[in-house]
Amino acid sequence: MTEEEKRSFLTKMMHNLQDMIYGMASHDMARQALKTRGSMEHLFILITMGDLLGVPILPPYYSLRLLPYVVPQISTWKRRMLRERDLTDALA
Amino acid sequence: MAAIVLLVAFVIVIIGYKFYAATIDRDIIQANPKKATPAVMYNDGVDFMPASGSVLFGYQFKSIAALGPIVGPIVAVQWGWLPAFLWLMLGVFFIGWVQDYASAMLAMRNEGLTMGGLAYKFISPRARGILLAFLYFYLLLIMGAFGAVVAGLLANPVVPIGLLILTLAGVLAGQMTYRWKMDLVMTTIITVLIALIGIWIGTTGPAQNIVNWINGLAGSGAKHVLYNTPYGPMTWPVFFWGIVALAFCYLGSVLAIWRFAQPVNYVSFWFVALGVVGSVLGVFIAALFHTTNISFQVPAFVTWNQPKLGWLWPMLFVTISCGAISGWHSLVSTAGTARQLEKETDALPVGAGAMFTEAVLATLSVIFAATALTKGNTIIYDAQHLYGLKIGAGGVWMYGMARFLSWIPGISPAMGGAIGAIFLAVMALTVMQLVLRFMRVASAELVGDKIPAFKNPHVGSIVAIFFTFLILWTAFWQRIWVLFGGANQLFAGLALLLVTIWLANEGKKHAWAFWPAVFMYVTTVAALLVVAWKSFRAMFAANTSAAFIFGNAVAGLIGLFLAIAALILAVDGLKSLAKARAKAAAHAGD
Repeated sequence: MTEEEKRSFLTKMMHNLQDMIYGMASHDMARQALKTRGSMEHLFILITMGDLLGVPILPPYYSLRLLPYVVPQISTWKRRMLRERDLTDALA
Repeated sequence: MAAIVLLVAFVIVIIGYKFYAATIDRDIIQANPKKATPAVMYNDGVDFMPASGSVLFGYQFKSIAALGPIVGPIVAVQWGWLPAFLWLMLGVFFIGWVQDYASAMLAMRNEGLTMGGLAYKFISPRARGILLAFLYFYLLLIMGAFGAVVAGLLANPVVPIGLLILTLAGVLAGQMTYRWKMDLVMTTIITVLIALIGIWIGTTGPAQNIVNWINGLAGSGAKHVLYNTPYGPMTWPVFFWGIVALAFCYLGSVLAIWRFAQPVNYVSFWFVALGVVGSVLGVFIAALFHTTNISFQVPAFVTWNQPKLGWLWPMLFVTISCGAISGWHSLVSTAGTARQLEKETDALPVGAGAMFTEAVLATLSVIFAATALTKGNTIIYDAQHLYGLKIGAGGVWMYGMARFLSWIPGISPAMGGAIGAIFLAVMALTVMQLVLRFMRVASAELVGDKIPAFKNPHVGSIVAIFFTFLILWTAFWQRIWVLFGGANQLFAGLALLLVTIWLANEGKKHAWAFWPAVFMYVTTVAALLVVAWKSFRAMFAANTSAAFIFGNAVAGLIGLFLAIAALILAVDGLKSLAKARAKAAAHAGD
């Protein structure tokens, strides 16, 4: 093993160790924060784009003005909203 | 001897991982790194999101390794350290990793479905309903089994103040991170230091005086005893601190998760990690410089029939669940890990790797117990330490850890004892508060439509606490532990059955999952029926109190319910398996 290979191996090991510690210590927190953001996003899209589900909350004028900003979220939003869930989903 | 056992464990897990697990991953499952996983296909940035293998290994290990791999082996050492060690090694080699890894693969190849969805798809709609009801009782047993350990530990004068300061440090961590937007590294250093100083304060005289004053509120000596049961007295300190533990869980359940449960768990994690590193260091220092002090005090084999726990088969196999095999892992593998794996080939190091690592942690627990206890059927600590299973598995761990930590220069036995006790208490409490949170969600889902009050988080939490309270103060702890282990192992059996049906549907070899499933089902149903029988029989013993009769009735009914639910799931599962085999045979004929 050359000096450079040794260094790269050690760098990789350190990187993996850092990832592992992050996974143990903070990954849960990061996921929880994302879930919270996801829930807020659900509500926001429901309020602004309720027409998509047949729930007209906001006048269409404003919905149409917001539409370009919401378009990137619509596919994942629909998937999340329509995915069948049960209690075991809430565990992780 | 301790070092040799640890070395043997390392060799076995390396062989298991490198040869058995790798062969199945390569030849039967045929994990393909180029195949799109649900995390990649359905990436929504929330539930489905790819993460690296190293991150997920840490996530999986932290999610599966709680109190189970510590307490189970300590209790099981009452049959002798060798049966406990053998079950850990054989269990993880042939069954444990199979379940963790294969359930992750099963979910990954089925669009990230969780256990409920998988049971619905592969067994029957009824299977999902039974599974969800089963889950509630399983969580209740976790609360009862872990709660009793915590209550016993908190009664120790060196524990409560340290734990209180650690909790406050956790709340501060939440405030610093989410409200004051402070740097996470700085937050971690400050709060972990506060927690460590708090633990030291807890060992000082004035702090212990406060706890002793509380412990003495109901009087001293025999007046401490609130009521007697044939299994031992219920004392005021255990009763009181049990209520405190449940109040802690209540806060974790009803407050916003960032405000209490999550930051407290975060600070606890660092404390536990430091404790594990310290213990391993202590073992090595002891092995190098104090060899005579760590010889095993418990004989390799004590008895086939342990008076309190029962016969080695089936009871040992449910007494030790985590470390050998545990159904909880399949829930984590399916609902958590499988939705984040970026490549199929990561499932082996994450699922199987974390399980094999947990088996080593459980082996460490066997070593702690075996080096700390004296020989004989009635296991107690040696004369020097005066404790043993008489003060519960928590006490054994506490003194075992104190012993190893005190070999590190600068750590006194008192400080080691406090660290050991708080280590165990936070491991239990971090799980309990999340379990209670989940129980209130479960009750809202299961009965919220019929009884709308259950949709209120306070009502759901209080009802769950009430049930836990009944179990904590009326039932025999070791029996509750076995029931918890039984429910856990049945989950494992179900996960293995689902894997078997899936493999049969795919026309792949499935004996490596089927026989472990059969073993787990037969063993755990037998254990549950034995516990139910013992509990019902104990109800009719002479001179028993109402609490004792009630506790045994609850334990017996839960055992019976779980056994019946398992049998229904097994019948439905075997029917589905027969169909899958017939389908695969028809395909082969084509």
